[in-house]
Amino acid sequence: MTRDRIALLVFGCFPLAFFMVMAFFPGIFTSYGLKDMNKPWLTPSADHILGTNSLGYDIFTELVYGAKETLLIGLASSLFMLALGAMIGMLSTLPGLPGILFNGLINVFMLLPHLITLIVISAFIGHSAAELIILIALFGWVGTARNVRARVIHLNSQPFIESCTIQGFSRIHVIFHHILPNLYDLLLFRFLLGVNSCIMMESTLSFLGIGDVYTPTWGTMVNLAYKRGAFMRRAYNYLPPPGVCIMLLSLSFYFISMAVEARREQIDL
Amino acid sequence: MKKYLNNIITSLICFLFVILLNFALPRMLPGNPIAYLSGFAEEEMTSVQIEYYRNALHLDDSLPEQFIHYLRSLTDGTLGYSFKKKANVSDLIGEKVIVTLQITLPAVILSTFLGLVWGMASGYRKDSSFDKTSTTGLIILNAAPSFLLALVLVILFGFHWKILPYKGLSSSSMVPGKPGFVTDRILHLLLPVMTLVLAMLPSRYLLMRSSVRAATNERYILYAKQRGLSDRKIKYHYILRNIAQPFISMVGMSVSMCIGGSLVIENIFSINGMGKLLSDAVYTLDYPLMQGILFVTTGICVLSIIFTDITCILADPRVRYMERGQEA
Repeated sequence: MTRDRIALLVFGCFPLAFFMVMAFFPGIFTSYGLKDMNKPWLTPSADHILGTNSLGYDIFTELVYGAKETLLIGLASSLFMLALGAMIGMLSTLPGLPGILFNGLINVFMLLPHLITLIVISAFIGHSAAELIILIALFGWVGTARNVRARVIHLNSQPFIESCTIQGFSRIHVIFHHILPNLYDLLLFRFLLGVNSCIMMESTLSFLGIGDVYTPTWGTMVNLAYKRGAFMRRAYNYLPPPGVCIMLLSLSFYFISMAVEARREQIDL
Repeated sequence: MKKYLNNIITSLICFLFVILLNFALPRMLPGNPIAYLSGFAEEEMTSVQIEYYRNALHLDDSLPEQFIHYLRSLTDGTLGYSFKKKANVSDLIGEKVIVTLQITLPAVILSTFLGLVWGMASGYRKDSSFDKTSTTGLIILNAAPSFLLALVLVILFGFHWKILPYKGLSSSSMVPGKPGFVTDRILHLLLPVMTLVLAMLPSRYLLMRSSVRAATNERYILYAKQRGLSDRKIKYHYILRNIAQPFISMVGMSVSMCIGGSLVIENIFSINGMGKLLSDAVYTLDYPLMQGILFVTTGICVLSIIFTDITCILADPRVRYMERGQEA
C-alpha cells in the first residue's frame, strides 16, 4: 500500500460512504418528508438548509432521497453492463466466424452515437427506471468488452492455459477455473468505472426529460428545477446542488477505481 | 492500411445498423406501427385517417417491400415525412444541423488543440508539480456533468459579471446583413462552445498525457535528448509523430459524444438547433423526426470517422511507405 493509494481510497470511500448512508437512512439527515409543503422559494436558512422549491418542498430532503435512486440506477446498470461486456468480450475471442462476428459487434457499438440512440430508443420503448437501467447497460458495455477481449487474448497465449489445454481440460472448464479468476481485478476496475459512466448517462438523460419521474434521481431534480423556472429566478440553491452531488459521487467512484488500478499495476499482471 | 480500411468498413456497417434499427423499431414493437410512424395516438384517429396513413406508409406491403420504400425515402432527400410538423424531415433538420455544427465544430477543434498541447506538456514533464496539479484539476472537471458546467458558466459570466450573452444565438435586434452580426454571433457562441470544450477537454488531455508518458521511456527520446535537441523539437517532431494515430482516431470518435453534449447545452442556452429539435420530437412523440435525427447524426459520425482514418493514413509514414513499397 503506497501513500498515494491510501489517499485515493480515503478520498473515494468517504463521499461514497456518506451517500450510502444517505440512501439507506434518509431520516438521519432530514426531518421533512418528500412531500411536506412549506412556503415556496424560501432561501436557505437553518430550517431549510437549501431552501424550498416552487411547490414548497424542502430541496435538501429531495436531494437526500435522490441519493438512493441515483445509486440504484448506477449500480444496477453497471452490474448488468459488466455481465454483458464480459460475456461478449469472451465470445469475441472464439476462433473462426463467431469470434469475428462478436468482434464486429463490439466495433459497431463503439461507433454508435450512444446518447442520441438511447434517446430515440427510450422514446419508442418507454423510460421507467427498469427500462432505463437495461437501456443504459445495452449501450455501455463496449469498453468492458474491449478490455476483456484484450486480456483474454493475452491469457490464452500464456503457458498455464496452454498446459491446461494439453492436459485435455475442456474450454468451458478453462474459462471458469482459469480465465475468469484472472479477470477479477479487471472486472472490478471496469465495474467502478461503469458506475461512473452509468450515473453520468442517467443524469444526462434525466436532465433532458427522459427519466422516471416516479423515482426522481438527481438528474431529474435538475430537470424539474429547470422547468420550474429556477434558472430565471436565479435560485442558486436549487439548480447546482444535485449537479455537485453527481460530481462528488462520480469522483468517488473514479478515485476508488484509480486505487484498484494502482494495485493492479503493482502486481503487474 | 488494412486496419484503416477495416475501420471504414465497420463504420459503414454501423450506419447500416442504424438504418435497420430505424426500420425495425416501429414495426417490431408491440402496438400499431401506424401510431409510431405517424406520431398520433391510435384512438384519436378516424378509420379514414388510419386508412390514409396505412397507404401513405405502405404498411400493407410485405416487409422487404416496406424496406425498399424506406430506403427510397432515405435516398430521395426527404428522410421521411413528419406528420406532426407537416414537413419533410430533411427540411426540418437541414437548417438546424448548421446551428449545431456552429457549436460542435469549434468545440472539437479547440478542445483537440488544447488537449494536445496541454497533455503533451504534462506528459513530457511527468510527475512535476505542473503535471500533478493539471491532472488532478482535469480529473475533477471530468466528473462534472455538462449541464453543471453550463450552469456554472452562465451563473458566472451571464448573471454575475454580465459580460456574455447566455440566451439564443443572436441578439433579437440582429438580422443577417446588419453590421456587427458576426461579432454578435461569436459573442453568443462563446459560452456554449466554452462549455463543450470544458466537457471534452479532460478525456483528450488524459489520453494524450498517458501516451506521452509512455513514449518518454522509449530510447529514441533518450537519444534525442543526448543529441541536445530542444524540448520543443523532441515533443512535436519525435513524440507527436509516434503517438498521433490513437489520438486522431479518438478525436474522430468523440464527434458523436460532442453532438450528444451539444443536445444538453442547446437546451440550457435556448439555442434552436438539433438538440432542441430532438427534445421537441421526444415531447411531441414525433417518431419520424427522431429517426431522421438519429440517421443524420450517425451519418455525421461515420463521415468524421472516415475523415480521421484518411488523416491517419496520410499522417502515418509507416502506412504511406508500405503502400509505395507494394506498388513498386
